[in-house]
Amino acid sequence: MTRLARLGGHYGPPVLGALVLCAVLVTGGLLYASGGGGSRDLLVTDLLVTTVIVMGLQLFVGNTGVLSLGHMAFAAVAAYTTFVLAASPVAKAVYLRDAPWGLGDVQLTPAQATAVAVALVLVLGVVLAIPIARAPAVTATMITVAILFVTHAVILNWNELTNGAGGMAGLPRLQTRSWVYAGLVAAVVGARTFRRSRWGRFAAATAEDATAAAAVGVDVVRARTVAFLVSLVVVAVGAALRVQSTAAISPRDYYFEFTLLTLAMVVVGGRRSVTGTVVGVTVIFVGQRLAVNLAGDRENLVALADIFLGGSILGIMLLRPQGLLGDWELDEAIVRWWQRRRRTGPAAPGPAVTLLPPRSVSGRSHLVAEGIGVSFGGFLALVDVSLEARSDEIVGLIGPNGAGKTTLLNVLTGVVRPLEGRYLLDGRDLTGAPSHRIARAGLARTFQNLRLFPELTVRENVAVAALGAHRYRRGRPVPDVEALLAAAGLTDAADRRARTLDYGSQRKLELARAAALGPSFLLLDEPTSGMSDAESTVMIEHVRATALAVAAGVVVIDHDLHFITSICDRIVVLDQGEVIATGTPAEIRRDPRVVAAYLGTAPPVSGTGGTPAAPSP
Amino acid sequence: MTELAQNLVDGLGRGSIYALLALGLAVVFGVLHLLNFAHGELVTVGAYATYAMFLALGGNWWVFMPAAVLAATATAVATEIVAFRRVRGASPFTLLLTSFGLSVLIQAGLRTFLSDKGRKFPKPAWVFDSVQVAGVRLEVYDLVTLTVTLAVLVGILWPLRRTLFGIALRAAAEDFDAARLMGVQADRILTGAFALSGFLAGIAAVLIAIRLGEAKPLMGLDPLLKAIVATIIGGLGSMGGAVIGGFALGLAEVLFRAWLPDDLKGLTDGFVFAAIALLLVFRPHGLIRVVRAERV
Amino acid sequence: MTTTYGIITGLRDASLRIGAGEIVAVVGPNGAGKSTLLASIVGLVRPAAGRVLLDGRDVTGWAPDRLLRRGVALVPERRRIFTDLSVLENLLLGGAVLRPATRRARVAELLELFPVLAAKRAEPAGYLSGGEAQQLAIARALMSRPRLLLLDEPSLGLAPTLVDLVFDLIARLRAEGRTILVVEQNVRRVLALADRGYVLRSGRVTDTGTGAALAERGDLFAAYLGEPG
Repeated sequence: MTRLARLGGHYGPPVLGALVLCAVLVTGGLLYASGGGGSRDLLVTDLLVTTVIVMGLQLFVGNTGVLSLGHMAFAAVAAYTTFVLAASPVAKAVYLRDAPWGLGDVQLTPAQATAVAVALVLVLGVVLAIPIARAPAVTATMITVAILFVTHAVILNWNELTNGAGGMAGLPRLQTRSWVYAGLVAAVVGARTFRRSRWGRFAAATAEDATAAAAVGVDVVRARTVAFLVSLVVVAVGAALRVQSTAAISPRDYYFEFTLLTLAMVVVGGRRSVTGTVVGVTVIFVGQRLAVNLAGDRENLVALADIFLGGSILGIMLLRPQGLLGDWELDEAIVRWWQRRRRTGPAAPGPAVTLLPPRSVSGRSHLVAEGIGVSFGGFLALVDVSLEARSDEIVGLIGPNGAGKTTLLNVLTGVVRPLEGRYLLDGRDLTGAPSHRIARAGLARTFQNLRLFPELTVRENVAVAALGAHRYRRGRPVPDVEALLAAAGLTDAADRRARTLDYGSQRKLELARAAALGPSFLLLDEPTSGMSDAESTVMIEHVRATALAVAAGVVVIDHDLHFITSICDRIVVLDQGEVIATGTPAEIRRDPRVVAAYLGTAPPVSGTGGTPAAPSP
Repeated sequence: MTELAQNLVDGLGRGSIYALLALGLAVVFGVLHLLNFAHGELVTVGAYATYAMFLALGGNWWVFMPAAVLAATATAVATEIVAFRRVRGASPFTLLLTSFGLSVLIQAGLRTFLSDKGRKFPKPAWVFDSVQVAGVRLEVYDLVTLTVTLAVLVGILWPLRRTLFGIALRAAAEDFDAARLMGVQADRILTGAFALSGFLAGIAAVLIAIRLGEAKPLMGLDPLLKAIVATIIGGLGSMGGAVIGGFALGLAEVLFRAWLPDDLKGLTDGFVFAAIALLLVFRPHGLIRVVRAERV
Repeated sequence: MTTTYGIITGLRDASLRIGAGEIVAVVGPNGAGKSTLLASIVGLVRPAAGRVLLDGRDVTGWAPDRLLRRGVALVPERRRIFTDLSVLENLLLGGAVLRPATRRARVAELLELFPVLAAKRAEPAGYLSGGEAQQLAIARALMSRPRLLLLDEPSLGLAPTLVDLVFDLIARLRAEGRTILVVEQNVRRVLALADRGYVLRSGRVTDTGTGAALAERGDLFAAYLGEPG
């Protein structure tokens, strides 16, 4: 399949779906406007323009899962910039008599003004993305609140440039709606295709589980930053269109009320879905209009629209927090329906697929950890731990609870920074590198507590790992996603959400996802935890087969010593943060130190400890 | 020198209201891990209750305080029962948006059932008075707010430390499930936390209303933002930090305004924020760090 | 006193029975479901199937506070003491279901029994050492005078001498007439102390017997170490 054809297949349906949404929205609007006069026209324009802005907001909030209250601040910057640059000197003389930098005499075309506005927003966005993309979600939200607050304060006070609270009017109004239509199409198509693009998929993985995303090679900070910046561009364009439609501006247009309104529109329909958001915009908009009409002139009902708004937000959060449409997308539903129609019978079993082309991996990889020391606030979790593994062997890592096994794995995968020591993969020092870079270098892992991307499909869980792998695993072939799914027996379940799988399948999925990186080593943390004997046996074989098929070495932690001794070539035993024994399974079994570590020491000679002397409480 | 003393007292006076507001936020954050955006509305409700009392009973301000506190507390508990209890354990996103929805609803409700415009009432005579203390002119208002705040803080310190409820609340803030293991009932703790936050908001409401002389539907936004900023300065999750953060914010605002040249005074808020941002660069978790580990 | 279980989430068909005044040990590899078992008894987790009977009365799914009033207390894994609260406050909280006067009297009694804690009563619990913290956790659970005490890995993370201390304490508690269910990793120590034991593997009870009998069984250790046969 040519690259173009593949792109077409990948992006075609979303683009078409987005176009259909725009068509429906515009048609509906035009029908409504045809029934009335100029005021209806204005309303429809308002609806369309708001949709553009809301699409931008959805692009960030829906894909990263981070709640942003600051996007309207950027909208304000874009709107004010557009106004100041595009308004005539005559109008500016009225409001901005002391405009700095000679802006009072400048007048750009609407297009030029919009371009400058978007550029300015981008510059600000690049700077502010630095803290926002790095901070945990709650803190990031707080930062966006601060941005909204500060921007509003600046606009209110910078009278020379904004005329403060008074606002301004007199911008040349848009004569036709062509630009609005263009903006709408660009926004909806953009939002939909972003979700489909690699950055959108990376961002979605980050939203599901940032730690797991990093473990499959996703640069979490960069994914959030890209989503942030693209969303800002869309919001800025929408704001520029909005200010040119209303021809006036005031600080209140982009403060808390509008922020809550746009947020409600994203959330009510379904923040993860572009279709849902369009529905949400319509529902909120129409609902508020109805409320306003219902209230009429009665003074005591003037807040009816807000009652509707607040009630909608609250209702959705209490009853259906994922939104009316959840993450249902129109184009995806159509594609699924089409595929079901085409499949007349049960799917014929495909030809046997091998995970990797035979003999494609040359040489062995070598993982060495030396003298690793980790301290958690004074508590020594690991002391002088060394470990070695080759890509053609399976090394077991065992020890009693709290011995530091998971900590060691966390060190090797960059989740925890060691105080001392270093580790190298094929001679390359990875100590202190961030998790995603380590994953890309060839160390893949699974987690003790199972960290899948629960709302993503089974296939997408694996595909997202493979997505990055192609680019980064230079010289090493990357396994085929469908083949990995087939090997794990997950082909039939591939379109289901990962959280619907049974436990054993979920563990297999996590392993498949790790294998999708085409790694040199698989670091597995208790892959049989919680499994029955029968399931464990199956899993053991699956681990062995997968490792063999992707030509990766394995370092596996488990408490099931039967499992460990049956598949491991070598075993390393940890106790209280130190390596107490290494060797073959047979040697370890006989080592008295290991037995003592696991089963405890015999009680002191005097028995269970003295005569009970305490008084009965 | 006298100017410095005046500014200090002024800053502390302002800061004391922020401290009350921030503490109310922190109490709820501790048990729910939610930054309650509807907290500002509690202040609004308190102010309206004050107005209603004034209409009904005439001038005595010290009668109004209990009414405001009662109204704010009742509203807070109502929000817990109607909404927050049902979303306990949901994602932070859902929790925040729930509080937004409530905030909009309460505002709209006040506008519908009480009035859309602000309602004015007379301020007590002493609000704009000042007294001479050791040669320094201090505003009576600042002294009053400081005294009231300190009295309240000391007053709730005792229950928080001595009563089982206070102990249970602090325990639940640290480890909700372990507190349940002790036999503490989850619902009671949540209700109690919200009641306490309402109580604090009510007191702040009276202090704000006295100065403002008016009850407006949207007046809760500003106190809310100050409270949020104060909690961030102090460290999210720490009650002591919230109080310190409140005082720090008040002082910062007054001192910046005093030191900035006249033409930049309008941008005081911007400078305060810059200072806070700088603080967060060096101490990203605020002044008092509350550690909650996540197991990988 | 008997307690019986059936199938519980994360466990499959785990059943055990505890008689009054016994020490019963539950051992098994990690991930076997031991903590889930205790959590189900105490009401933190609702079993998908099966029952918990206390003195013949069905208490399945009862909230922790109801069970505390009936005399069932848990010392959780890794203690879970409230580090921000003082030692005294932790103890007081342990008596949350008691009447205030009873609570105060009880705290006084326990401070007498645990002089180490009495010495540090006003200190934040976060400053206690591992051994002291374990004592606090146990003392806290004793506040409500439980008839049945559940201990989840009491020796976890403790140095050997402290482990001795903890097992001494458990023996003393039994001598006072309490019934004790201990989940432990330190198999030899706990089996030396217990009257009876259950081995939990992969969510199922695979072996049961008197403490001494289990301790002598070579194949038990083999189950741990993977020896064939």
